Amino acid sequence: MTGPRQLDGSRRLEDFLAFSAEATAFTVFELRGTGQSQAYLNTCDGIVGTEVTDCLLDRYDAARSAVVASESTLPELLRRDILSDPQLGPVARNIAKMWFVGVWYELPRAWTEAFGAREGNATFVVSTQSYTEGLLWPAIGANPPGAKAPGFGSWAHPPRIPVFP
Amino acid sequence: MSEHRSDERANGIDDAQHDVVVVGAGIAGSLVAKRLTQAGFSVLVLEAGPATAAAFDDYSNHVQAFYAATSKGPESAWPPAAGVPQPDTADIRTGDGYFVQAGPLPYGSTYTRLQGGSTLHWLGVSLRMLPEDFQLQSSYGVGRDWPLDYWALEPFYGEAEHEIGVAADVVDQTHLGLEFAPGYDYPMHRIPPSYSDRLLAAAVDGMTVNLGEDQLALKVRNYPAARNSMPRGDYRPVGAVDQRRAGQGDGHGLARDLGQRCAGNTACTPICPIQAKYNAGKTLAQADGRTLQVVAQAVASKIQLDPVTGEVRGIEYQRYDDPASARHTVHVARGRVYVLAAHAIENAKLMLASGLGSASGMLGRNLMDHPSIYGWGLASHPVGPYRGPLSTSGIDDLRGGPFRARHAALRVDVGNDGWRAPTGAPDSTVTDAVANRGLFGTALREHLRSTLSRHVRFSLNVEQLPSRSNRVSIDPRYVDLLGNPRPVINYDIDEYTLAGMAAAKRVYQEVFRRAGIKDCTDPEQGVWFPSVAYQGDTLHYHGMGHFAGTHVMGNDPAQSVVDTDQRCWEHRNLFLVGSGSFPTMGTSNPTLTLAALALRTARHLAKELST
Ligand SMILES: Cc1cc2nc3c(=O)[nH]c(=O)nc-3n(C[C@H](O)[C@H](O)[C@H](O)COP(=O)(O)OP(=O)(O)OC[C@H]3O[C@@H](n4cnc5c(N)ncnc54)[C@H](O)[C@@H]3O)c2cc1C
Ligand code: SF4
Repeated sequence: MTGPRQLDGSRRLEDFLAFSAEATAFTVFELRGTGQSQAYLNTCDGIVGTEVTDCLLDRYDAARSAVVASESTLPELLRRDILSDPQLGPVARNIAKMWFVGVWYELPRAWTEAFGAREGNATFVVSTQSYTEGLLWPAIGANPPGAKAPGFGSWAHPPRIPVFP
Repeated sequence: MSEHRSDERANGIDDAQHDVVVVGAGIAGSLVAKRLTQAGFSVLVLEAGPATAAAFDDYSNHVQAFYAATSKGPESAWPPAAGVPQPDTADIRTGDGYFVQAGPLPYGSTYTRLQGGSTLHWLGVSLRMLPEDFQLQSSYGVGRDWPLDYWALEPFYGEAEHEIGVAADVVDQTHLGLEFAPGYDYPMHRIPPSYSDRLLAAAVDGMTVNLGEDQLALKVRNYPAARNSMPRGDYRPVGAVDQRRAGQGDGHGLARDLGQRCAGNTACTPICPIQAKYNAGKTLAQADGRTLQVVAQAVASKIQLDPVTGEVRGIEYQRYDDPASARHTVHVARGRVYVLAAHAIENAKLMLASGLGSASGMLGRNLMDHPSIYGWGLASHPVGPYRGPLSTSGIDDLRGGPFRARHAALRVDVGNDGWRAPTGAPDSTVTDAVANRGLFGTALREHLRSTLSRHVRFSLNVEQLPSRSNRVSIDPRYVDLLGNPRPVINYDIDEYTLAGMAAAKRVYQEVFRRAGIKDCTDPEQGVWFPSVAYQGDTLHYHGMGHFAGTHVMGNDPAQSVVDTDQRCWEHRNLFLVGSGSFPTMGTSNPTLTLAALALRTARHLAKELST
């Protein structure tokens, strides 16, 4: 199942975005609009390796197909097949955190003990843009500190927090 | 001539003589340099750190450094040069930073050693001291009296507010005996209070709290802020500084198209990206360039005395080219008068390292801060935190009153920055939700929306009195890369202040209750801060960056280091400016007051130098 994905970079990115939309409750359009998709996928690949990322995307693909015929919702399937998986769960959670904060968080010790230490697995800001593109800020109707200033006096008004499905 | 040459061999390369040598290009030094160059005197400013905040493209690199930092603490945008170390908030816990923390308690504050100084990362709260703050001993029998009263400083407060560019309305500020010169108002209208300030005010204005026997009514008030707002009259807000290095750019003093209004970047500490917030580079850029010489990367290391007259005859400094290296050459700066403006700690340290100023036994002592308590909670409805300046309002009613005979006064800073400072939110809210609450996708986003939007934070800043045993000293065992002493800090918090801190805790709990804010304060779960036991309770405190008292001002040379002009009693052509001169600090953030004192000293010097 992993073969074709590795050959097709754009398909891989699409799947990563679709999974990320599930992880963050932002739309694929909003995610793409941050300009960070490729950087986050690369970060994930660079640290856990493409095989682990592919495995996560495959599970996601499978869950997406299975949901049609299943009693369960997609979030339920993801919880069962990805988030509860000792190897994929922490990676999936890191992807969600990365989108919200722009930071790759060091994987838990239990993970590296079970699946091997990974080079570069420390907590770091992916890039200066990833910081300012953190989804945390639009999620609460705010701006990242030090960027995207909303203008003089804007803070005197109630926040405009976008609704989401 | 021969004397000159022997000097050169013994003490380094001699500079040309100036009228005034200023050590430190922070706010105090820059104000002195601006005033005295404008009066036609030649001024040499020695600045220990690099001048990377002076040109806007370099300044922007500091913004990028902040973006890239995993821990976005107050110093994250301002890494120091190798030979010019500075205290860092992260070192307080480990105790192995620039400060040698000699206890019993850790001193919790920091400063910045780059050109521009600590105003690069200050918040900009610019309250005047209360009239009663100047007479604490005669009014309440505690602390020391100032040798000046409020009215001696009042005109200079007005001047300082215009130099800095302070936004406020006098009508909001006349309370607790604070009076302004007739017809005076601040150069800019007040910064609009935040949405959460307005909600809080609606809930708590008029409520009373008891401090001892005093019953005090509370009101949420806008504070005077050193950030650009709508100008009053013909005042022109000063925006970003853009002094290019020689041969680069157009050499324009000030960028005229950026930073004229605060735009709500919510990063005042550590760095305002557009410089709507005041920093000392603005003042230095306004000095008269024809008689000003600024030498950055020049660390004053020793004050030389004339053995006969006892006057200062030069300041040795270490000039380095590469901020990453300790390689340097030694030079001597010469002037008619010398002004130390290197910060309360560094001024005292330089004196101690030069073996000066010891007659009164007061040098380095009486070190103060505003040990502060955080309270954080969840409002019942969204209040829109994480927006606007880090704070726009406070509660000032507990800054003065008869209760000060028994315990310290306090001021409440009402945050707009949610739980960032005490817990590392909102980032930590994300990691907590994902790791500890198992949230993902829609549930995660919903959790962030519903909790973060209700975050409320108070910081309660408590007065501290001067004490001889709280001090900075030096010890030959502890030196930095250039061989200069590191500050050894002895620090404790006495009963008077501890009782004020305990009262502060009660106050925020009462205010939260009244406003329907659920108290979530849990220092064990938050960012680490030092703590102190008091009456069965543990009080966690953070420093405010408000250093004071280390070269105390007074009328009696036996009890003070400088006189009311901030002139050193022992060496009459030497001046020490800054909050080190404060006998007491009250509850106001010190910079406006130290700026007023610096302007007063500059006026005195202009007169003296022309005779
Ligand atoms: C996080 C934080 C927030 C703050 N917020 C506020 C606030 O809201 N309101 C307020 O009033 N105050 C605030 N302060 C305090 C304020 O920053 C200081 O009171 C003020 O900057 C001190 O001015 P200064 O000119 O005396 O010293 P500094 O601003 O520290 O300037 C000293 C200068 O001297 C240079 N220097 C040091 N040693 C040497 C040497 N040996 N040779 C040559 N040069 C040297 C330094 O590099 C620096 O440029 C805050 C401080 C911090 C840390
Ligand atoms: S809120 Fe933003 S623009 Fe305003 S002073 Fe602070 S950092 Fe500067």
